[in-house]
Amino acid sequence: MKNSFDEKILEEAHDWVKVNQKVVLATVIQTWGSSPRPTGSRMIVNEKGDFSGSVSGGCVESAVVRESMGLLKENKSHKKIEFKVSNESAWEVGLACGGEITVYLEQIN
Amino acid sequence: MKLETLKSIISKKKNKTEFAIITNLSTGESEIFEKEKPLSKELEKYSNQINEFFKSKKNGVIDGTEIFIETYIKPIKVIIVGAVHIAQYLVEFAKSLNFEISIIDPRGYFASEQRFPEMKIINKWPDEAFKQIETNENTALIALTHDPKIDDPALQHALNKKFYYVGALGSKKTHANRCERLKEAGFSSNQINSIHGPIGIKLGGRSAPEIALSIIAQLVAETYKK
Repeated sequence: MKNSFDEKILEEAHDWVKVNQKVVLATVIQTWGSSPRPTGSRMIVNEKGDFSGSVSGGCVESAVVRESMGLLKENKSHKKIEFKVSNESAWEVGLACGGEITVYLEQIN
Repeated sequence: MKLETLKSIISKKKNKTEFAIITNLSTGESEIFEKEKPLSKELEKYSNQINEFFKSKKNGVIDGTEIFIETYIKPIKVIIVGAVHIAQYLVEFAKSLNFEISIIDPRGYFASEQRFPEMKIINKWPDEAFKQIETNENTALIALTHDPKIDDPALQHALNKKFYYVGALGSKKTHANRCERLKEAGFSSNQINSIHGPIGIKLGGRSAPEIALSIIAQLVAETYKK
């Protein structure tokens, strides 16, 4: 397998930590069906809810931000979240494409 | 993830080494795996599966466990011949891509650090320069000088070493002349036809950044074809 991309999310996470921000690293660890982003895709979230990178094409990012902020508030080290096929309810967070992903959240400490 | 681990990952990426990050999803512990480095006691029992993921360069959770592996592979070597205007944009576009770029140009006034900050520049003629770069069928060549004295020896080296991507800048006429010279030098038509010339996919633009973009697009496409 070749890989020609190099998203600099981890480097950015380090930059955030250097300016004393609390950072949660979110990583796609498993996918089923037509998930928008491959395993290993990443995003970072700080305690204010600023984020960078992505774990889906925009489908579940808001939930990941919310969960990450919660993780920081409760000062937990890590957590797994599963996102499944979205239902018809417009405000429900989920993957419109019908895929499933598991995202792992971990605090950098 | 410990800040220490994060720092170590970033430095390994910078040094272009091959490694993997192994995370225990239930304890939250993570560690770095390298070929010759022994695994921690806790992970020893998964050693076969970890090596399997590492060899096939895959990311994922080991079946029936809470162990997640993310592998980092060595970037692809890309050699640019000609520290010209287009090369400056190429280097810029390639920043978010996993390529390790070297620039060869015997003309010192082109190959200056001021024009290419933090880049590996080899201020030598291609024949000399290739003595200090290890190349193989996973290497790519982008020849941009359209000066036969500089481009041709590099193209010959790339064809002999079976680079997976060889592209050469120049008009159709320039390229036809180039092909003729390579033919005279004894290269087969298969070898000559493997050169992407005129270089790049057709975008329509003719400015330096647009040509650079068309070259990068072609390079990425060829990288995934392999």
